[in-house]
Amino acid sequence: MQSIVHVVLAGLSAGMFIWLVASGLTLIFGVLGVLNFAHGSFYMLGAYVSFTLVKVLAPHFYLALLFGPLAVCLAGLVVERFFLRPVYRLELPYQLLLTFAFVLIFDNVVKLVWGGGALAPPAGLGPLRGSVSILGRNFPVYSLFVIAVGPLVALALWAVLERTWIGRIVRAASSDREMASALGVRVPALFTGVFVFGTWLGGVGGALAVPYVGLLTPGMGESIIIEAFIVAVIGGLGSLKGAFVGALVIGILSAFGTRFFPTFDMFLTFILMAAVLLVRPRGLFGAAR
Amino acid sequence: MTGPVLLETRKLSNHFGSICTARDLDLSFEEGVLTSIIGPNGAGKSTLINLVTGHLPVQAGRVTFRGRDVTRLPVHQRVRLGICRSFQIVNVFPQLTVLQNVLIPTLARLGRTRRAFARVSAETQARQEAEAVLERVGLSAERDLAAAALSHGDKHLLEVGVALAARPTLLFLDEPTAGMNPLERSRLLESIRKLAAEGRTTFVVVEHDMDVVFSLSERVVVLHRGELLCDGSPERVRGDARVREVYLGEEVADLPGGSQPGKGP
Amino acid sequence: MGKKVSTAAWLLVAVALCLVPHVADRFVTYLSMRVMMLGIFALGYNLLLGRTGLLSFGHGAFYAAGAYGLGLFSLHVSPHPLLGIAVGVAAAALVALAVGFLSVRSSEVYFSMLTLAFGMMVFALVWNLREVTGGDDGLIGIARAPIRLGPARIPIAREGQYYYLVLSLFALAVWVAARVRASPFGLVLAGIRENPTRTEFAGIPVRSYRLAVFVLSGMFAGLSGALEVLLESGARPSMAHWTHSAEPILVSLLGGLHTLTGPLVGSLLFVAMREIIMRFTENWMLAFGVVLLVIILGFRGGVVGSLAEAMRRRQAARRAP
Repeated sequence: MQSIVHVVLAGLSAGMFIWLVASGLTLIFGVLGVLNFAHGSFYMLGAYVSFTLVKVLAPHFYLALLFGPLAVCLAGLVVERFFLRPVYRLELPYQLLLTFAFVLIFDNVVKLVWGGGALAPPAGLGPLRGSVSILGRNFPVYSLFVIAVGPLVALALWAVLERTWIGRIVRAASSDREMASALGVRVPALFTGVFVFGTWLGGVGGALAVPYVGLLTPGMGESIIIEAFIVAVIGGLGSLKGAFVGALVIGILSAFGTRFFPTFDMFLTFILMAAVLLVRPRGLFGAAR
Repeated sequence: MTGPVLLETRKLSNHFGSICTARDLDLSFEEGVLTSIIGPNGAGKSTLINLVTGHLPVQAGRVTFRGRDVTRLPVHQRVRLGICRSFQIVNVFPQLTVLQNVLIPTLARLGRTRRAFARVSAETQARQEAEAVLERVGLSAERDLAAAALSHGDKHLLEVGVALAARPTLLFLDEPTAGMNPLERSRLLESIRKLAAEGRTTFVVVEHDMDVVFSLSERVVVLHRGELLCDGSPERVRGDARVREVYLGEEVADLPGGSQPGKGP
Repeated sequence: MGKKVSTAAWLLVAVALCLVPHVADRFVTYLSMRVMMLGIFALGYNLLLGRTGLLSFGHGAFYAAGAYGLGLFSLHVSPHPLLGIAVGVAAAALVALAVGFLSVRSSEVYFSMLTLAFGMMVFALVWNLREVTGGDDGLIGIARAPIRLGPARIPIAREGQYYYLVLSLFALAVWVAARVRASPFGLVLAGIRENPTRTEFAGIPVRSYRLAVFVLSGMFAGLSGALEVLLESGARPSMAHWTHSAEPILVSLLGGLHTLTGPLVGSLLFVAMREIIMRFTENWMLAFGVVLLVIILGFRGGVVGSLAEAMRRRQAARRAP
């Protein structure tokens, strides 16, 4: 029993990082119609930049948490405004390829600046260090913090989208771009705003990951984007609800896999994805497009 | 001249969100009877075509073709059975030539499309038949032009041509003369009349232009808000009070006498 | 270009290719083989992308299937090269069938995501099954045994000799691609790219045709992978990684989509560029990304496309008074 509870908790915390990345991905796809392959790279940038800021701003971890994602969304601003915007009028494959080009660029810029090896964040960052005893075994307090952050973000997103005027504009633009533009919404500015916000979410995920993962590697971007894609397929691309549920499911499934079926842990998620594709191609909460 | 029933719908219904786009439609289309479908905007004319051709999944009701239930049959299989359609907004292959546009359905009909090592240039039968289709719609001269380079009216002719090339038994034309000038319109209508007389294809035309409707068809179906309002010969429809009400009487009353000999039920 | 000019150009290229081992040094011979193998990979990929518009990020998986298929066959069953290549291509076809079946039923965006995910799944599979695949060390020690055809034994151990096997299969691949493009099947594929709905209404089961061309392009990838294993005497898991899957995309874009020669020209440029950049920096991938960016923003026709466009403009200018 104890093992199962701990595995579920570990899965939930891992799933929250995937949720943070998947939420940004979903928002960007839902509003702009672009699948941002580079989203995992923004997560990775968030982690690496925050890591450096932590070392520089030594005891003030939360400053790093604040400024790291801001730096990342600056990169997002540059990408959207100067590179993505000119290609909206092109066919879909070109937009995908553009974001893919940025994966190559960001991944290798990281290798250039921080080196290709793994970086170890200093242990015990911030006031949430140490562990708490759950059912007789220790569980890190920080992981509990992460498990709490995820739903808070979900709630905040829901509140903004459903209850505020800007949320209404975002929802309108995502379902009918031309109409929104005809009604006076400045669509290009809105797109930039949503993209920047989405990358900020990814950057926050990366920054939060610094105390959580044992090592930072240049491969962390690519592994999380694949997990985010699997979440999108399972939950339904374009659905935030689907992304949240999907992320939790994948997180817990992976955790069970790592604990009980070590060699094949990743295949559980792929098999689940294949199963969802066969039975319900648009995902659990996806819209039939 | 009526023939056997080709297509029947039974209680066909569809809704899009809270809007009902088709309500309990019971229709049957007989071979050889040129039918028009009319109705104000939003009446559900295109929806009906989408449902019977398989473009839109049926939510309730049944569609049968020659007695066979085709409600759940995928689009390409319905085409093989003989149900085809043209689109209201020109929907051709823009970068391909006019001939190539018509070749694709022709090759499909002849079952030649699986050949990966034959040369298209050597498919003489397909080319001959494709050229014949172009001649029938009057686009022979434009055979090597890219479809995107055609004039607006010619694009619509191509649109009908591509649909005809599949040699359908039942062909639904969705507003084929939309945006055409009078000369192009009469050219197309003449073609449709000739083709209908040949007897191989039964036409069902969705139209807004009442001249077209009443001079061309033997039978008129009137839809309104997804429901069947009236169904019968042009004279009967023109005289129907509800139809006049829906169209505010003006267009329907102003029509020429009509010379249709066909008497529908 | 007129028909006579293009036939002459092809002949010239063919003759030049045949002469390479005799007039050039080992390194150029090696590079020429790499260009041809990449050309096969890109040709197949271009059949999919150029003709159906589907962007796959997982073709490295089929390349790896061909590579490991041949490698494992060679190590455990028989080192016969032609049989090994056949096994590799068949393995690639099977993997492509499985991945394609799950992927082509989806829209374009899902398709790209799925192929990426499945490609990386194959990568993880190859990496993890150490006992079978050698893990991240890969398969090593695969010999280039002589080809036994009846009583004859054709040696391919030396690179100069292996070159002619690669050249023959390259020519075969180009021929197949050209025939498919000019065939009714190819015309239907072009229709699917332009207007899948209309193609459906012409009576074509679009999904099946997409799957067929997906498997065909996977077989090209498998052939390429098998040939690389014989050249390098080994297979590596990185063949299935998405950064490798990106190569035929860049090659096709560099050379020009929608043409037969585009992927071939692109392969030449790609290998040449990589060799030059590698002399200055190890971070070839970064340059790769930047080049991709530049092409998308400005030169989407690729080299062949841009040249064709330039020639067209010159002809139009000449005609105008």
